Amino acid sequence: MPDTVWKKRVVVAGLTAFLLAFPLLVRDAFLLRLFTEALMWVGLAITWDLIAGYIGYLNFGHGVFFGFGAYATTIFFTKVNLPFWPSLAVGGGVAALAALVIGWPVLRLRGAYFAIATWAFGRAIMQLALVLDVTGGPDGLRLPPFLNPHFFAYVMLALVGATYVVLWVLLERAPFGLKLKAIREDESGSLAIGLNPAKLKLQAFILSAVPAGLIGGVYAYWITFIDPSSVFGDLVTDQAVVMAVFGGLGTLIGPAIGAVFFLTFKTYFWAYLSDFQVLYLIILGVAIAACVVFLPDGIWGAVTRRQEGRRALRKGLSLNQGEVVQPPQPPAGTSTRTPVRHKGGEEG
Amino acid sequence: MLTLLPQAIIDGLLLGGIYLTVSIGFSLAYGVLHIIDFAVGEWIMLGAFLGLYLTAWTGWDAMFFLPAVFAVFAVVGWFTQPLIQRVTSGAKGRPVLMALVFTFGLALTFRGSAQTVFGIFTHSLPTELAAGSWYWELGPFMVTIPVVRLAGLLYALAITVGLTYLLKHTDLGLAIRAVAQHKDAAGLMGVNIRRTNSVVYSLYVGISAMTGVFIGAIISLNAAMGPDLSLFAFFVVVLAGMGYLPGVPWASFLLGLIQSFFLIFFNPGWTLLAVFTVLFLILLISPTGLFRKGV
Amino acid sequence: MAEPILRLREVSKAFGGLKAVNHVSFDVSEGEIVGLIGPNGAGKTTVFNLISGYNPPTEGSISFKGQEINRRKPYELAAMGIGRTFQIVKPFAGLSVLDNVTVASYLRYPKQRDARRKAREVLEFLGMGDRAEMPAAGLTLSGRKRLEIGKALALEPKLILLDEVVAGLNPTEADQTVQLILSIRDSGVTTLIVEHIMRVIMGISHRVVVLNYGSLIAQGAPEEVARDPQVIEAYLGEAK
Repeated sequence: MPDTVWKKRVVVAGLTAFLLAFPLLVRDAFLLRLFTEALMWVGLAITWDLIAGYIGYLNFGHGVFFGFGAYATTIFFTKVNLPFWPSLAVGGGVAALAALVIGWPVLRLRGAYFAIATWAFGRAIMQLALVLDVTGGPDGLRLPPFLNPHFFAYVMLALVGATYVVLWVLLERAPFGLKLKAIREDESGSLAIGLNPAKLKLQAFILSAVPAGLIGGVYAYWITFIDPSSVFGDLVTDQAVVMAVFGGLGTLIGPAIGAVFFLTFKTYFWAYLSDFQVLYLIILGVAIAACVVFLPDGIWGAVTRRQEGRRALRKGLSLNQGEVVQPPQPPAGTSTRTPVRHKGGEEG
Repeated sequence: MLTLLPQAIIDGLLLGGIYLTVSIGFSLAYGVLHIIDFAVGEWIMLGAFLGLYLTAWTGWDAMFFLPAVFAVFAVVGWFTQPLIQRVTSGAKGRPVLMALVFTFGLALTFRGSAQTVFGIFTHSLPTELAAGSWYWELGPFMVTIPVVRLAGLLYALAITVGLTYLLKHTDLGLAIRAVAQHKDAAGLMGVNIRRTNSVVYSLYVGISAMTGVFIGAIISLNAAMGPDLSLFAFFVVVLAGMGYLPGVPWASFLLGLIQSFFLIFFNPGWTLLAVFTVLFLILLISPTGLFRKGV
Repeated sequence: MAEPILRLREVSKAFGGLKAVNHVSFDVSEGEIVGLIGPNGAGKTTVFNLISGYNPPTEGSISFKGQEINRRKPYELAAMGIGRTFQIVKPFAGLSVLDNVTVASYLRYPKQRDARRKAREVLEFLGMGDRAEMPAAGLTLSGRKRLEIGKALALEPKLILLDEVVAGLNPTEADQTVQLILSIRDSGVTTLIVEHIMRVIMGISHRVVVLNYGSLIAQGAPEEVARDPQVIEAYLGEAK
């Protein structure tokens, strides 16, 4: 046992050292950009996994928080003329507020209905961003260029690193994580042992939104241009989803691995194929379908033989609005109105 | 403002007709096959593009190709269905979840392929019907009805009537309803489940593709039009109650009315948000649909 | 005698047109084991759902330790001291046995370390200490039922509702479970138990309450209830 613990510590220490040293030692702008973007996706993937893998709620509108953060930061930075850091904080705050407002009602939906509703919400917000003046409409918004790849590499590292650590402590060491998993395994049964799922889900939802919003804010300043399709588009969520599922839901390492893997793949693929965006969509599509069918626990899940991925997916996509309390079967001969509930034991 | 009210209502009904056709096949597929096909919007899009190419190739009116588009995609559906079957009946997991994600991947694949092959531009399907419109005046009220939209509504009603007839008055329809209600019992009674599933899926894909032709003519078509249509289909079907066909017309017309009211009276950009809000309220209050008959 | 720990007064529950529970009244005194029996569909599990907060009663009142609890949520009741098991066992299948009980322990022991310690104690008490790291999904039925009881015990309840914890077990396992229930009683926890296996219920209960078609048809000491003509009639024709 102590042997594996030491191995883990060595790996973690090595990785941390590598991450801290990378921006220090590397000069190449392209590599720095890759580094920053990889971290960004790690952040988006692990925050998505927080409610997907740990609680079993598939938020197909996760990109909305990224977008809210991006737009809020940009608007306060360019129109209200707040300095960057306070603007970023506002971006995170707006994302948190959005999560609170939309989460409270939407988390009452279960399974596939939650997935569909969040997806619908994401599209609705994108459509809205296309018509509002304050968001600049389809032309988007521009930010004053700040061309300093090292700065952004460090900021993203600090942000995503802090997120990872906080989530790790909360999910793997503190009671919070186990409580969420209990909700994933059996939401109804978890009530009986003293858990308040509504409150816990909302806390997790906000927790998943804030880093995504902050990442969006940093993204905006980094790329110096945002528009509805780039920050509110399906692609943000879709990629985070694929990365997390492919990496392994229900863990933090899984989505991180998935993010790095996919981003590397995408970047080099991009270099070799011109019409990348659309082909990329095809690959995402195939990847997601193949993953769910053949690799529901993701790579990390397969390696560590944890089955949390498939359980999360199963719950997240079920059509069962399932209550543990079903109206009792009337004794034979009694005529009653058939209670409308789910058919049989099969999902769907 | 009030003078526009009849126009708004008529527009809503006409739009509703389109959503009706989009959703009725989708609801049937769900009710019988128990799959939520995320790719419904893509089938529509592909049908529209086939219509576009056939028209461009021959120069004939797009409406002429409705049966051809139906036939082609019915065949495609016939061959796709066993694939879905294989995915969903694997030892791995739950059928609906598998189907949902598989079709999600399928949708992304179709969309990506379409964007690669067809490009990203928006087109319009040329048809004689698009040329004309009827115009009425009654006191202060004015109503313009584009003929092609009216044709769309008639098409929707024809499909609905046709499907209803099929389901209620034919042996095939009986088989379909049996499989929808209780698959195992139906099988024991001698219904060929596999064939019934294939027929239903073919019908659904064929109808969806055919509807694409209408949408292409009435609105427009481009390779990225799938998701919004899927969203509308979900909305209608959830509102109607999943698998509950009689609810689909009501929900479709409601959706049409919401959209037309936003188009005429408010800022259309808020339409999707309104749709989302209604969808969401329904799911909260009555997850089994307006009529509480969903599954 | 002190105020009963649990009191049901004219409690009814209707689902649409069907009255699953019909004006049921009974008390449970502290430290008792009360058996709740009746033919299938009599409403026993519904009564449990009403007491544990999963469903509010349509009529009547339920009070626990003198306080009315009609509209309380299950987690509030857990905090007040009511624990329950489910007829169809619901382990957190993807978690280990220890984790299962740990989550339940958080109620009384909010800190991770303390909760873990409590969980281990509970598992020892259940005789499942050796299976702590096992995934809950890998347990046999008897193990799952035991785990179910363990989760309820981790709440340190004053009242525990046991729903068919013996059904489906072989005679050896059944006897072990009965011993467990008696140990729970010895530790001062009041028990309300639903069970179909007559020898178990009649053997361990201080009193028995009989339901039929949602109504209470008899209550009293096991021997009296067993001789009650209405009870006999209710069970006649039931394949036992």
